[in-house]
Amino acid sequence: MKKQFRHAIITGIVFGIITSFLFLIGFTGIAADMFGDLLQNKSAAPFMNLTPQMLDMLIFLGLIGLWAGSNGSHKVKGQTDDPIGPAVFGGLITGLVHGLFVSVLALLVGTLDAKGVKINTYLYQILPAVVKLFILAKTPIQGALFHLVFLTATGLLGGILSRGLGRSAWQSRLQKKRNESFSKISQAGIFNKIRSNRMILYSVYGIVLVLLFLLPLRAGQYWNYTIGTVGVYVLLGLGLNIVVGLAGLLDLGYVAFFAIGAYTMALLSAPAPHHLLWNFWIALPIGIGLATITGILLGAPVLRMRGDYLAIVTLGFGEMIRILLKSDVLTSFTRGPKGVPSIGGPTLFGKPFNSDIDFVYLIFLAVLLIIFVTNRLQNSRIGRAWEAMREDEIVSRAMGINTMKQKLLAFAIGAAFAGLGGAIFASRNQFTGPEDFSLMVSINVVALVIVGGMGNIPGVIAGALVLKGLPEVLRQMQDYRVLIFGALLVVMMLWRPAGLIPSSRRRMEVERDAGVQETAGEGREK
Amino acid sequence: MPDAKSSAKRLTPYKIIQSIIGVTFIIYIIWRLFVVFIAKPSYGPDTWARFAIAGLVLGMVYALIAIGYTLVYGILRMINFAHGDIMMIGAFGGYFVFEALRAIPTPTLVDPQMNFLDANPFISVVLAFLIGSSIAAMCGFFLEKIAYRPLRTAPRLVPLISAIGASIFLENAAQLLFGPQRRDYTNPMILTRGEGWSIPIGGSDVILTYTGVLTFVLSVLVMLGLYLLVMRTRLGRSMRAVAENKPVAALMGIDVDGVISRTFIISGASAGAAGVMWGIHLGLVYHFVGFIPGIKAFTSAVLGGIGSVPGAMLGGLFLGLVESLGPAILGISFQLKDVIAFGILVLVLIFRPTGIVGEILTEEKV
Repeated sequence: MKKQFRHAIITGIVFGIITSFLFLIGFTGIAADMFGDLLQNKSAAPFMNLTPQMLDMLIFLGLIGLWAGSNGSHKVKGQTDDPIGPAVFGGLITGLVHGLFVSVLALLVGTLDAKGVKINTYLYQILPAVVKLFILAKTPIQGALFHLVFLTATGLLGGILSRGLGRSAWQSRLQKKRNESFSKISQAGIFNKIRSNRMILYSVYGIVLVLLFLLPLRAGQYWNYTIGTVGVYVLLGLGLNIVVGLAGLLDLGYVAFFAIGAYTMALLSAPAPHHLLWNFWIALPIGIGLATITGILLGAPVLRMRGDYLAIVTLGFGEMIRILLKSDVLTSFTRGPKGVPSIGGPTLFGKPFNSDIDFVYLIFLAVLLIIFVTNRLQNSRIGRAWEAMREDEIVSRAMGINTMKQKLLAFAIGAAFAGLGGAIFASRNQFTGPEDFSLMVSINVVALVIVGGMGNIPGVIAGALVLKGLPEVLRQMQDYRVLIFGALLVVMMLWRPAGLIPSSRRRMEVERDAGVQETAGEGREK
Repeated sequence: MPDAKSSAKRLTPYKIIQSIIGVTFIIYIIWRLFVVFIAKPSYGPDTWARFAIAGLVLGMVYALIAIGYTLVYGILRMINFAHGDIMMIGAFGGYFVFEALRAIPTPTLVDPQMNFLDANPFISVVLAFLIGSSIAAMCGFFLEKIAYRPLRTAPRLVPLISAIGASIFLENAAQLLFGPQRRDYTNPMILTRGEGWSIPIGGSDVILTYTGVLTFVLSVLVMLGLYLLVMRTRLGRSMRAVAENKPVAALMGIDVDGVISRTFIISGASAGAAGVMWGIHLGLVYHFVGFIPGIKAFTSAVLGGIGSVPGAMLGGLFLGLVESLGPAILGISFQLKDVIAFGILVLVLIFRPTGIVGEILTEEKV
């Protein structure tokens, strides 16, 4: 009983903080509107003096309350029998604590607002209308009491429901089965099956290709632009995948090579600073070449450092390039912070590329080419050398691998891919400026490689889709999408540390590490 | 490195290039020093003194943030990317303390319009530091518990991504809570920014600001305290033991999880103090304020030799001075101070790959 009490109180506090936070960032109002859209009840008649918007907010709060109650009623460790008493009790206590938090907040905000304090000069989202909605247009004390009673009741209900639903023998059997099948799927059973059968593999590739070919024709301009951006990030991800995923060198300044590709294309083909107006197809290889050369020049001195030193040096290099592009020093050469406008696009057989659809096809082509190259590299002697080097540098050197040469090679190839991506990106946007190349681009690319699954091509593509596509899908949430993106990044790492689609070798590695940790049984975990 | 011995004797092409770069660089610096100080003095001594003071104060703040990085890195071998954002939260904590105290009327005989902040500046500043640090420390504690602890056994890059996610989350949560605008840190009256003792140097007065002195002295004290904590106390000893070898430390009866939690609390508290200093000295606070200092502080930690507390201090001071004096010595635009800072970092790491002081990690552990 005492343990249950403690557990319930802690759960209540956690949920109290979560609900208060959601209110303070103004999410309760947004959620109310979303429920309103979902239920189509915006014009419904008031019920018990509550407007439909308030009801929608209460639905949202009620759902959180139910969740809190069911969490608070969970069986605590060491409890053998499973009577209904503690569960209901836990739900009640959780609801009470949760309600206490929210009602204190409501009382505080309501009183301050009633006194005429302008809360939103300090807390940006708390406009008087939001406060009025939150205390249900009553006096602060009434509103606070209402929240206390409401959340306690939902907590109690959550406790009873979870006792009814979550504890039966049937439920636990189902849960076990689900866990088993889930772990089977997550251990890439399907992917391995597909991989092992060539017929299926090629037909899947074919279908995907046809779909990719048809997709831009159906999608609108906005979506084609988004698809193009995702494609460029796939290019970057595949390039960084060689550096980070295969060779194991953490590069946080990858955007530098992207910038070099983009600026080479811009300066050679734009009319503005130099009036060179070169053809896209001539500027493209020059951009790739320059990026590669920079990669080698940077790599030669710094690749001797290991791990995090390399990370910070590359990060510094990326920032240096951006600051140089922005500064007055290069203004006559690159137009400084103003950026380079009207960059030329490619022409093919006399047909100029001028719509986003054309560029989407061009990017697809580049991605396919890069996938082909990466695939061949990965399964070659060089790819095996990279992976050996990632696993253990000293042993791989003992095996006769010239690690310095291989590292440089990986760095240069990664840089070349980034240069290609940058050149296409600049040409598609018809503009490039220093702010396109902030540190966040590098971080996004590293994140997509690791979220997708390091060292593996489908993983990188999945990562790019999730990381660059998701914010576009979440666009309806407006201000909240980046916040949700950050939280998802953490959750995704907690949920699948090996990435969305882990390469088979990497998955084994993660599992082995976890296994070693368990068998070593250091007795301090929990 | 297994071939460290042999390559020390043999003259590899890399070594030759390294020496050429080093000698050229040193000659260039000496020549520039000669030019700016003797041949064609670009600034008077008063300006140099101003640069040096600004650099010292900034460097101390960097050093204070860098210690948090170094402590966490020493124990977990991970870059706590959200450290700068914890500093931002501490800065906001101090800001709200000042704002709240300014709203309390404290009429005195001299001035009936007086508020608490101006009437009791000493208590206010202490309160701001205490509350700012504790909020940041709590934030560090929960960050470790939620985002890093479950990933203790995962490969090294996974906690890094988790940290990046946490950093993005904290920045945007702060933006949603407090709004996107920049806020002015309103100091107590006696700490008004820009005022201070004036010292006559080379014919004109150089102002040694009160805020600068406060920042400098406080960070020296905090750093001294941290150093003693790591080197002299029981907790510090267990921290060093955990950094050395976790399983063995656990066998010796050290609560490893507890030590890691406490490390995050300490590093969060020092970042929070640095945030309040940043606000008091530089005067602006907004949701993105921790990002650049965070990266600079990480650079200083690496510069000094990551994992070592004195290294972080030296690295921070060095970086601050390079940033403020570098552009003047090399005679280039002040826009490029970050380029110089990162350039120095690259050069230092080429010649001393383990930082100025040298890291305290052994090769096999990494």
